[in-house]
Amino acid sequence: MTQPVLSAEKVVKGYTLGGETIPVLRGVDFQVHAGEMVALLGASGAGKSTLLHVLGLLDPPDSGRILLAGQPVHDLPIRERAAIRHRQIGFVFQFYHLIPELTALQNVLLGRMMLTRPLAWLRERRAARARAVQLLESVGLGKRLRHRPAQLSGGERQRVAIARALIARPRVILADEPTGNLDSHTAAEVLEILFRIHREEGISFVLVTHNAELAARCHRIVRMKDGLVLG
Amino acid sequence: MYRLFLALHYLLSRPIHLLGMGGVMLGVWALILVVSIFSGFLREVRAHVQSATSDLTVFRLRWPTTYRGLEQRLAEDANVAATAPRLVWYGLLHPIERPGAAPAPQEDLPTRADARFVSLIGIDPASERPVSGIERWLGDVTEPRLRVAQPADPLPRNAELPGILLSRTRMQRENLVAGARVRLTLARMNAVNGEQQLHFLDREFQVAGAFTTKHVGFDESNAFVPIDTLRAMLAEGEGAVVNEVAVRLVDPADARATVERVRRALLRDHPGVMVMTWEQRNEIYLQAIGHQGSIMKLILFVIMVVATFLVFATLSMMVVEKTRDIGILTAMGATPAGVLQVFLTCGLAVTTVGTVLGILAGCLSAFYLDAFRSWMKAAFGIDLFPTSVYHLERVPYDLDPLWIAQVVGASLVLGLLAAGIPAWRAARHDPLRSLRYE
Repeated sequence: MTQPVLSAEKVVKGYTLGGETIPVLRGVDFQVHAGEMVALLGASGAGKSTLLHVLGLLDPPDSGRILLAGQPVHDLPIRERAAIRHRQIGFVFQFYHLIPELTALQNVLLGRMMLTRPLAWLRERRAARARAVQLLESVGLGKRLRHRPAQLSGGERQRVAIARALIARPRVILADEPTGNLDSHTAAEVLEILFRIHREEGISFVLVTHNAELAARCHRIVRMKDGLVLG
Repeated sequence: MYRLFLALHYLLSRPIHLLGMGGVMLGVWALILVVSIFSGFLREVRAHVQSATSDLTVFRLRWPTTYRGLEQRLAEDANVAATAPRLVWYGLLHPIERPGAAPAPQEDLPTRADARFVSLIGIDPASERPVSGIERWLGDVTEPRLRVAQPADPLPRNAELPGILLSRTRMQRENLVAGARVRLTLARMNAVNGEQQLHFLDREFQVAGAFTTKHVGFDESNAFVPIDTLRAMLAEGEGAVVNEVAVRLVDPADARATVERVRRALLRDHPGVMVMTWEQRNEIYLQAIGHQGSIMKLILFVIMVVATFLVFATLSMMVVEKTRDIGILTAMGATPAGVLQVFLTCGLAVTTVGTVLGILAGCLSAFYLDAFRSWMKAAFGIDLFPTSVYHLERVPYDLDPLWIAQVVGASLVLGLLAAGIPAWRAARHDPLRSLRYE
């Protein structure tokens, strides 16, 4: 296989609580390759979400390295890490995290304007809007562009969140139990969308899940237990 | 771009921010309107005071000082255009006859209840005319019953009784008309057998007419009489006594330097003499009004501070509510500095819009205050600003761009503080906390 898109090397991460350090990741090695869909499986508290946050440069590791296309990125200045999150990494969370004041379309557009200056935005607005509309249409929300999150169902909200994660054309999408909050029927719909995007766009995926059935459909399953990757 | 975009949507979806905006607007409006009216008022009052006072006054002359030597000394200064002798005294004024009222009994004059204190200025009208505004003060009286018969010679020497010029307000209040007779009681300490004794002097005068200077305080207390008559009463046989000289300057702008020159020139012959410009003479009065202005600014500034608290409170509420968004914004590529700017933009937008509206409201209400006042008077009979008290034709205002700039500066600095604290707290919020828990 080729060089991994995103990898963790001997990552250690702990949290201090009441003066005591609780180890969450205890030397984790992990890779995801271009176009690969990896399922991250494990019980609650195994460290799946923390690994995802560390991989997504939201949380710096205590030790070990995070490499993006072979380059270490975990110790870059805060602005550069933010820029990498914006351009290379997309996030999908269990609880959608849409901005309630914005419409579906605006929520998706927000994912595109993070690094654009107001004047440049005037030029790029049309193209960005066209892309956002196209993405929302592709997840089946073409008729709900102007609806706010409160007017959308859980499945619809998650589809908006997926469109938002895609708009900056990331190399890898980190999804933290994307169907964990949905009923099985809606979850299946959302998963179909994720698999289709993976097929069509060739984006790498890291899917944190409890669902063994879903994991079975991925290229590779990585199991975690007590802050370590098994086998 | 997301900073502006989010700030705008956060603001527009929360009408409570109108509260802070309204507060800032109210504060700016009050600061601009009230202070501009006040400085307009101060400007008018200064003009009125100036019009009632000669450019320079020489006083605290030792008794008895005669005018002749003094006049020559003063005339030597290049900046002195004209001088006028004055004898300033005090007395009690009793109206003897009022039109339509029965003649008052004359026995117990000094104890009569309607006697009024009056500050008397003995003048020589011919010398006074080029020095002070007496011609204008007489000419400004339009009521035929109060007017001086001969403005060219308001206090004729050959009249049966010496004349007295009273202020229009005093004549109206005392119900006097030109030609009415009044009695003046003066007092003076005299040495009798080496012992100081108080002597009362009493004389009848005929009201020659009214004067009005627009300086309410001056008109309230002063009356003019012929200097010769006053000398005859107070300083019989002591010559052309004066205790004050009014001076008109060639260049009033150079008054301060002239004061020093004149004082030094007079000091040798007249130890203890004082020379003051019209401003120095009325310093306490003008300063008192100025102080009122400063206190008012302070009080109004408190409104601004309260408005800032409103902005602070509404913004803090919003930050608490919006910490949920900080996680996803960070995941999408926002930095803590970016998060700070989102909330700072919100606060500054509220303050800026409030300030701009306040300036507009302040300027517009200053421009249209007179129309508004007339309307209030016509519709409800309420006079917001009784202009007649201050001899003003309209409510004065002075929109000072520097003051407006100061208000804007203060408002923006306060807004920055009010927005900065919650914004800083938002920026310090751990984004993972909002991602981990829903």
